[in-house]
Amino acid sequence: MSTNPHDMPRREGAFEREPARRVFAAELRECRYQFKDGEDEKSPTFVLLPSGERSNRIFIVGTLTEKTRQGEQNMFYRGRVVDPTGTFFVMAGSYQPEAMQQLAKIEPPQFVAVIGKPNLYQKPDGSWLVSVRVESITVVDMDTRDIWVLDAAKHTLDRVDAFAKEPTPDILKAKEQYPTIDPSLFRKIAYDALAQIKI
Amino acid sequence: MDYSEAANRISRKFAQGGQTPDVKKIEGKLRRLVDEFGVQPSEAERSVISELSKEYNLPAPGSGGSSGAGGSGGGTQEKKIAEGVPGEWVTIEGKIVALSAPASPSIAQSGIIADESGAIRFVVWAKSNAPAMAEGSWYRIESAVVDEYKGVANLKVHSGTTIKEITEDRSLIPAPAPIRDLRPGIGSVRVKFVQEWEANHERMLQSGLLGDESGTIKFVIWKEPGKERLVPGAVYSIFYAQVDEFNGRLSLNLNAATILQEEGEIAVSGGESTFTGAIVHIAPGSGIIKRCPVEGCNRALSRQNYCPVHEIQPKFVYDLRIKGWLDDGEKTHNILIQRDVVEALTGISLAQAQEIAENNPLGMDEVFLQMRDAVLGRYITCHGREIDGRLLVNKCDKVAFASSDHTALLNRAGGAPS
Ligand SMILES: [Zn+2]
Repeated sequence: MSTNPHDMPRREGAFEREPARRVFAAELRECRYQFKDGEDEKSPTFVLLPSGERSNRIFIVGTLTEKTRQGEQNMFYRGRVVDPTGTFFVMAGSYQPEAMQQLAKIEPPQFVAVIGKPNLYQKPDGSWLVSVRVESITVVDMDTRDIWVLDAAKHTLDRVDAFAKEPTPDILKAKEQYPTIDPSLFRKIAYDALAQIKI
Repeated sequence: MDYSEAANRISRKFAQGGQTPDVKKIEGKLRRLVDEFGVQPSEAERSVISELSKEYNLPAPGSGGSSGAGGSGGGTQEKKIAEGVPGEWVTIEGKIVALSAPASPSIAQSGIIADESGAIRFVVWAKSNAPAMAEGSWYRIESAVVDEYKGVANLKVHSGTTIKEITEDRSLIPAPAPIRDLRPGIGSVRVKFVQEWEANHERMLQSGLLGDESGTIKFVIWKEPGKERLVPGAVYSIFYAQVDEFNGRLSLNLNAATILQEEGEIAVSGGESTFTGAIVHIAPGSGIIKRCPVEGCNRALSRQNYCPVHEIQPKFVYDLRIKGWLDDGEKTHNILIQRDVVEALTGISLAQAQEIAENNPLGMDEVFLQMRDAVLGRYITCHGREIDGRLLVNKCDKVAFASSDHTALLNRAGGAPS
């Protein structure tokens, strides 16, 4: 067992990567507020979850139920990934060639794990859509899906509990941006998701 | 005797205390004592220092009670090696535990002298005309000076120093110190070789990480005739290693040290960490890689089998590794998984990976893809050592669905709404 210093570049180690948030589809689809953290062109873009946490990246596990290829010159794939609470709309284009190749190879239905970046769009009819730009998508088993439901439920409950306690700047912003949403709704959603797992 | 050097030394000693003795006057007194009265140089120095001390109303050196244990002319305080303070004149008795090649012609001998309290590097000036000391022998060194170079204490043997071999039989069993207690200078440790690193210098024989129950420390062995590499995973007693400090971090130079491999095991601690999460990224450079076969190099080669130091290496060695990110939803940990753990986690052995790399049209990329598909998006628990913000994973467990967690979460979610 040998480790090389060259295997461990310092700069990469010091770099803080944005964590991938665990969020159910039912909460993600309520997002209406997106912002950049910093003036820089490379500053990350975040969507603000109604439970009061910013998210630049999410990790979801669900069932890929449908996949379509679109576009000619700028080919891309769209897919629907379903969790116990709703549907995530995922896409992978030529800007993410690795993710596009992965998605192209998967024949639905399959359990999949997706790491991606949430993006908020307003459609021409004025309605909102949160889509997930896929960074990677792999086929997983049902166990992984079940563990993810526990994981997403735990983080959802953590956020709901935090929302009721000391407000962070992001919680204050969520209260301002989502005045009509009561986060205790997501407690119920988490319960229903957990209840769907067979013991 | 070099009167001028001795006079300057004495003058500096008092200058540190804020006094300004006349160097020429000191030199004259020394010369007179030695040349005209036949006084031993060390006794001459003692007498001059004593006189000056009286003049400045300072306690006379050597009057501290522990001096004069034996022999003539013990003009300075007899001390244990560990008690030597920079700027002091001392008399010590110790064993020469290492000799190293003198760094310049002005140095007759250099090495390490030790007693039961500790060890110190010493330098014998060529001008001192001191008798050559032999490794393994004991000596009484009278009136040497402790000084400091880059924060490390040194014992200087000059023309005013007398050296006498001690013929009686003495044994010296150095006591290893916990890594946590090491200070710049000389140190002895009992350690496990926990991690071998790629040599990043042509003159470097080996480098890596040593650990004991109190922590870890980097070590280096430079190429020198007779130097041998340590075996990863083995336990060693290392006596009289040089403890260097760089940017506030300590490291051990083992070139002059006495190294004994030992039986037994050490539970290395400090920096041991465990993280659980999902693997959210597998970085390029994961999978099967080729390493430089040159002794002590072990660098990852480019696709063209090119080592940045040793150029083209067609007789490379295959290895497996996974570099990636493990994410628990709050924090993302940089992980580096070693070969045996990669094999266990992916179910692909090094031999199988090599077979794929050599026969599949995609070559090494195919191994990357298969490993990625086997681990990406999975929940795992990684155990390992955290170094420079990266977890070096030596053990991995797949996370299993826990119905107790399920029940607890159902209770929590179904609890009284807030
Ligand atoms: Zn090389």
